[in-house]
Amino acid sequence: MEQRKTRVGLIFFPAFDWAITPDHPEREERLLYTRDQIIEEGLLDVPGVEEYRPAIATDTDILRAHVCVPTVNRVITESHRIAAGGAMLAADLVLRGEVDRAFALVRPPGHHAMRIVHGSRGFCNINNEAIMVEHIRRTHGPKMRIAIVDTDAHHADGTQDIYYNDPGVLHICLHQDGRTLYPGTGFIDERGGPRAYGMTVNVPLPPGTGDEGILYVLENLVLPILKDFEPDVIVNAAGQDNHYTDPLTNMNFTAFGYARLTDLLAPDIVVLEGGYSIEGALPYVNVGILLALAGLDYSAVREPDWDPEIARQPQRVTEEIHRLTGTLQEMWADREEADIGAIFGKGEYFERGRRIYYDTDNIVEQQREQIRLCPSCSGWRAVFSHALHASTGRTAQIAAMLVPWQACPDCRKAAYSQFELAQKSRAFDRVYLQDPDDDNFLSSRRT
Amino acid sequence: MRNRCDIVGIDVGGTNTDAVLVRDENVIAAAKAPTNPDNLLEGAQTAYRQVVEAHDGTSPIELHLSTTLSTNAIIEGRGDPTVVLAAPGPGMSFDDMGLGFPVHALSGYIDHRGREVAPVDVSAAMSTLKAACDDGAKALAIVGKFSHRNPAHELQIEQEVIAEFPQYSPATLGHRLSGRPNFPRRLATAYLNASIARQQSLFAEMVQNLITGDEVERVFILKADGGTMRLKESMIRPIETILSGPAASTMGAKALTRHPGANAVIVDIGGTTTDISVQVAGEPIYDRYGAEISGHKTLVPALFSRSIGLGGDSSIHVRLVDGAPTFHVGPRRAGVPVVRGGSKPTPTDAAVAAGLSSLGSRELATTAMAQLGAPYGMDASSVAKAVLDAFTRQLADEIEAVYAHLESIPAYTVSEILAPPDIRPAMLIGLGAPAPVFIPPAADRLGISWEILPYYEEANAVGAAASQPTAAITLHADTMLGVLTVPEADHVERIKRPITFDIKQARSEAIAWACRFAEEIGVEASQGVSIVEEESFNVVRGFYTAGHIYSIKAQVRPQVRRIKAAETSGVEGPDQSKEDV
Repeated sequence: MEQRKTRVGLIFFPAFDWAITPDHPEREERLLYTRDQIIEEGLLDVPGVEEYRPAIATDTDILRAHVCVPTVNRVITESHRIAAGGAMLAADLVLRGEVDRAFALVRPPGHHAMRIVHGSRGFCNINNEAIMVEHIRRTHGPKMRIAIVDTDAHHADGTQDIYYNDPGVLHICLHQDGRTLYPGTGFIDERGGPRAYGMTVNVPLPPGTGDEGILYVLENLVLPILKDFEPDVIVNAAGQDNHYTDPLTNMNFTAFGYARLTDLLAPDIVVLEGGYSIEGALPYVNVGILLALAGLDYSAVREPDWDPEIARQPQRVTEEIHRLTGTLQEMWADREEADIGAIFGKGEYFERGRRIYYDTDNIVEQQREQIRLCPSCSGWRAVFSHALHASTGRTAQIAAMLVPWQACPDCRKAAYSQFELAQKSRAFDRVYLQDPDDDNFLSSRRT
Repeated sequence: MRNRCDIVGIDVGGTNTDAVLVRDENVIAAAKAPTNPDNLLEGAQTAYRQVVEAHDGTSPIELHLSTTLSTNAIIEGRGDPTVVLAAPGPGMSFDDMGLGFPVHALSGYIDHRGREVAPVDVSAAMSTLKAACDDGAKALAIVGKFSHRNPAHELQIEQEVIAEFPQYSPATLGHRLSGRPNFPRRLATAYLNASIARQQSLFAEMVQNLITGDEVERVFILKADGGTMRLKESMIRPIETILSGPAASTMGAKALTRHPGANAVIVDIGGTTTDISVQVAGEPIYDRYGAEISGHKTLVPALFSRSIGLGGDSSIHVRLVDGAPTFHVGPRRAGVPVVRGGSKPTPTDAAVAAGLSSLGSRELATTAMAQLGAPYGMDASSVAKAVLDAFTRQLADEIEAVYAHLESIPAYTVSEILAPPDIRPAMLIGLGAPAPVFIPPAADRLGISWEILPYYEEANAVGAAASQPTAAITLHADTMLGVLTVPEADHVERIKRPITFDIKQARSEAIAWACRFAEEIGVEASQGVSIVEEESFNVVRGFYTAGHIYSIKAQVRPQVRRIKAAETSGVEGPDQSKEDV
């Protein structure tokens, strides 16, 4: 294997005193065995591997990525702030040049958290990667090109939602086919909004995909796309539930496979997402990822019940993955030829409606969204959202005006004036405005 | 209550050996002798003879000895050729561990909860040891990954190879030295321990011979954790005696300070180096994982101490920065100060020139300072001031760096991240001969008060005398697997009623084992065992709680006999009446 000696920053935050509920998969014990394995392996003593204490994300840090309903404090706990702050610190360490790569091994996870947050879905409240990406743009300018490669077994519908119409962020998401797993989305036709069409790449993998399949997709699709996109920063949202022992999924990936993936992808920043085989997978996967990041030999990383047959995938799975990769290669190559007018209409605004379910908190959200098809920027957006908290009967009706990064004067003006108008309306419990260029995040209650 | 006895504390330092005789709470006698690096006992014997004259002969003597024997043996690479048999299981490769000694890997795999995944290959252990024996290996260490959770592989290898090769008994087994995780550190700790055990035994014999005929009842050796152990025990666990010098200083401060409950930074200024340690609410703090020595990271419990190349005999450097002469002290030793017959100027000379020390001729010191300043057009007194300022500034910066480091140590719970404990010092406690010169201005720079300890010149020897025995065990109970382990005591048992085994029971078992272990190694458990670390996790499988994991560290904490100051010794500042103005 290639020998690199790399400085790695590890931000390890296992939140040993925090759980969603005592017997929830997202509980105190989740990273206990990972901690035991990392310390027993002596990884924190390896020259070049430095451990850091996480930062704490402020309201402003969170509001760059989210509209929290009704307020930030009402939808998160301190543990979420520390996990997001850990991801932000990972970015700071890399961009300041203190380390070559950083690993935010933090919980709780975040990739199911969408732009508008009414509560928790898929164990996620706020999106750690998005808060980190917005922090990078705040500190290093909006022109930073960022690629997020999500390797969690579940579709990162939250990250997809936040960067849906953002041409500066490429989102490649490998996951178990949405027809067979939560959240049931992430199909190949979900390719992004009118001004970022093609910047969302979904790779729905058949159940049973093993090391061979994922590494095939990586080498034949992900790496070539990254080469074309030329990102300034590559982020790996490293869910660990493609592992063959994961209780919630049906994939066949191994710890060695994860290490190999990390080695090939060479991400600048790795952020932990899901993964609930806390004994059989996480200790080994995390050791594998850390060794690979540090440029050390990971060939001996092996699970206790590993045998050569385990990672082998059926022939039909291999064939299906090859076909899928071919299709996605063509779609990527043709992304600029797509007829945007035919897909999104030729009017001033594109409008869509969605129903979003929050499984963790049992909330049903109805959303209507208008995006301006702007010729000079990616277009301001208005989001109208109604949430029903099914267990309490509480409802929330809000409007949010979203100004994109590097907004044109027309879009900014339109968003601000719509915000003023909506404030006067009696229809909304709260009205929000999000303007990242000016770091300006407003909200007002119905009077 | 024990019979009254006189305690002789001896600290063998790099330059000098200090000794004191302590009776009850008082220092009765003190002596100093030069250390002979080729025979550490020589200076110790000289100093011992001097202080023991104050012994009244009616009560027995207890000897507390802090030596650099094992530290030096390791730093100078004089350990015995040692073979290390390891059962690593899968994971990081040995090449990446940077151990600096060879390891023979055997197949065998124990997982993170102590379950055996694959048996250990004893026949390979046997043939490896045979070959190593032929190559002249003198000592043996046996170490398994996760052996602190399940020592079975280490014990199995020991049993079978010692039956065949009794000359390697006692072998060092990793789990007996520490119940803490970290396989590479366990390897290093066991390897170093095995390699210095023979020399420690010889040393112990010499100490016994030295004191025969006196009324010495018991001999204790100082450890890196600020506690002591029996001389006999030190032959089995010699690795614990490394770095006892800085620990003696820290314990000296704890014994002598007028502010025993304070948050304080303790600074021991010597000739060549200055040691910085930290106490929080009167308790010294420990290294996060274990002591580091000569590039080896170990699991040896040690008081936190940062050693910097800054002392009374350090070299002085001047260079022009933007046209202005800028002074820097250390990190190397210049040699004996000019006022003591040396050739190069030192901070000690600056102190004498400034009238802050009467170690030698002020005239000589002034001349040395004038020579140093001549190329820059500086007179002697401004040079002396610049040197003292540089020393003070560097010391204060290092102290700041120590706290910045300690405060950046990661924490794994929400509560610790949100409300980190307040460790910032309220005062600077100084010891070592140059302390009166440098401690007050350094404290002033840090904006905190200061104290020069009574007996500040031999406070390390007082620390040795005042230290008490320590012992620690780690109890790990996994009620889902139904297994309880106390690795330091070689103990593994089935939990009889896992369903009712709770944290309270885990605590009382831990305390009981700490007492038992302490007695076994000759420590009086009456000194009070306390729980110093505790973890408790629910093990949930398939949405049901299937058991609990309790991890508890119980310890006979390092305590000190408090020593009274003679009426004239020790100073404090700033003067409160002055501050009120």
